[in-house]
Amino acid sequence: MSAVPSAADAGRGAVYDRGYRPYEGPRGLRGSATFALYKASMRRALGLRRSWRQKVAPFVLLGIVTVPAIVNVGIGYITRDQPAFDRIEIITYREYVGVSAALLLFVGLVAPDVMCPDRRQRVLPLMFARPLLGVDYVIAKVGAIATILLAFSFLPQMVLFLGNMMVSKDGALDYFTGHLDVLWKVPVAVALLAVYYAVIGCAISSLTDRRIVAGAAVIGLFLLTSISSGVVVGDWEIEGGSYGALINVLGMPLYLRDLVFLGHISTDSPLNGVAGGGLLAVACYSVVVLAGSVTLWWRYRWVER
Amino acid sequence: MSTAPLLRLTGLTKRYPGVTALDDLTLELPTGRIGLVGANGAGKSTMFRLLLGLAFPTEGTVEVCGIDVSSDPIGVRSRLGYMPEHDCLPLDQTAADVVATFGELSGLPARAARQRASDILDLVGLDEARFRPIGGFSTGMRQRTKLAQALVGDPELVLLDEPTAGLDPLGREEMLTLVARLGSFGISVLMATHLLDDVQQVCDHVVMIDAGRLVVSGGTTSLLERTGLVTVDVGLRGDELVTALARVGTHAAFAEGLVEVTIGGDEHMDLIRDTVADLGLPLFRLSTRLTSLDEVFVRHSGEAS
Repeated sequence: MSAVPSAADAGRGAVYDRGYRPYEGPRGLRGSATFALYKASMRRALGLRRSWRQKVAPFVLLGIVTVPAIVNVGIGYITRDQPAFDRIEIITYREYVGVSAALLLFVGLVAPDVMCPDRRQRVLPLMFARPLLGVDYVIAKVGAIATILLAFSFLPQMVLFLGNMMVSKDGALDYFTGHLDVLWKVPVAVALLAVYYAVIGCAISSLTDRRIVAGAAVIGLFLLTSISSGVVVGDWEIEGGSYGALINVLGMPLYLRDLVFLGHISTDSPLNGVAGGGLLAVACYSVVVLAGSVTLWWRYRWVER
Repeated sequence: MSTAPLLRLTGLTKRYPGVTALDDLTLELPTGRIGLVGANGAGKSTMFRLLLGLAFPTEGTVEVCGIDVSSDPIGVRSRLGYMPEHDCLPLDQTAADVVATFGELSGLPARAARQRASDILDLVGLDEARFRPIGGFSTGMRQRTKLAQALVGDPELVLLDEPTAGLDPLGREEMLTLVARLGSFGISVLMATHLLDDVQQVCDHVVMIDAGRLVVSGGTTSLLERTGLVTVDVGLRGDELVTALARVGTHAAFAEGLVEVTIGGDEHMDLIRDTVADLGLPLFRLSTRLTSLDEVFVRHSGEAS
């Protein structure tokens, strides 16, 4: 029977030792631990449960990558009732699956932030004392960054698609049925891009425990190979495409994007006209992803032999 | 009910290039609070890595809670908690977030992990500080957070690596009190330390290793042998007792406020009691003096070498 506090007790404080209660509920193993790490990495990348400063960069970048879609839809809305203007399109779905400076910055900022502190602050021994293997760690980290990249690339496309539907002169339903292919091409192309950048960002970040070094290395690799490729290829619109386009690590997913959208390398690509260019692009993409994955596996194999 | 010992090491050997970290260790340890004692480099941390399945033995086997670590490291890790000696906490996150995340990594559902994080932080005395970033914590608070993350998954055995390292005397006392309480929660403890006083205070079983080899293993009380001395506290009148005992042929000495009497058997205890009574002295304490663990370690390591 519980005692009713008396008036005399009312002014007194009391310290209760709640002791220890064993946990008797359900308990997961590797899958649960991997998913938990995936969620924690997503929260970290987006700055959730962290100070407001950590939230600024990801959401400003999301805003920046959405701007072209908003502008495109806005122009469509303004000109929808003016017969003098045919459909004005400042950016296509294919072009929108592109490499923007915002995405480049995002990978350079977020991948090191998600990977490096675990090593620098020596959190890894605590993680691997849980039911978690090195490969689970890599899947969780790469998965988290790839998911955010996917979302940041896909959300603007959705804004563009829904906006275009709303302002279409032919009506929303006609626009929808006329662009059904976009519904699978965009996710596939965006997923290829997201996985590629996530693997590269994580692999480079796994090689150092300093965020600034990792960030500079990621951005440096992208810019250096992009510039080198440009120098090697030269003026491809006049001289034709070149194998030199394949050393462009930054632009590699764009060749696969072309294959998804067009079924061949685009005529406005520096790989246009190169024999077997599409196949070579797929091979190079696979080699980069494989090299990144092997690097990650090697860095987190953890258990000695 | 399982009758397997908590730990079973059979011929356990771990060699690194040029050094043997553990050399043919064979041990069976019961549940309870176990002290793993040895100087720096004795092989304590290597043993923890082997128990966690983060390193493979060169020879021999390790069983934890009846599970062979080599064949099921994930199963073993889901039953263990681990508190490393070094700093290992993400400094920009709150204690509540960190402990809850490690709860999820231990396989608990998210809601249960948050609830348990709150309970465990309360248990270790960080209830009010749990929403503060760990970067602002004192050494003692960080040690408590490390203990909390080790306990949040409700382990059967918790591995504590130098839990009192860097703590002031008060913090050390509080940490040892917490460790001592774990036994009453049904959690076994393996505490690695080079501070024998800590082990003597909280552990009911001691394993001493030196240069990777077993020095001695046994119950704490059984290792603390009688020295043949009795300590008598009669306040400031110890000189009178020494003189009276000398008259009946018993050697005694008065030093630092205590009388130390050399005895030959239990009948001397009666003689001391009667002498104190005859002199009308106050008797504050009458106890047999035991060897310290330091003396046990020095003697056995000398025998081993």
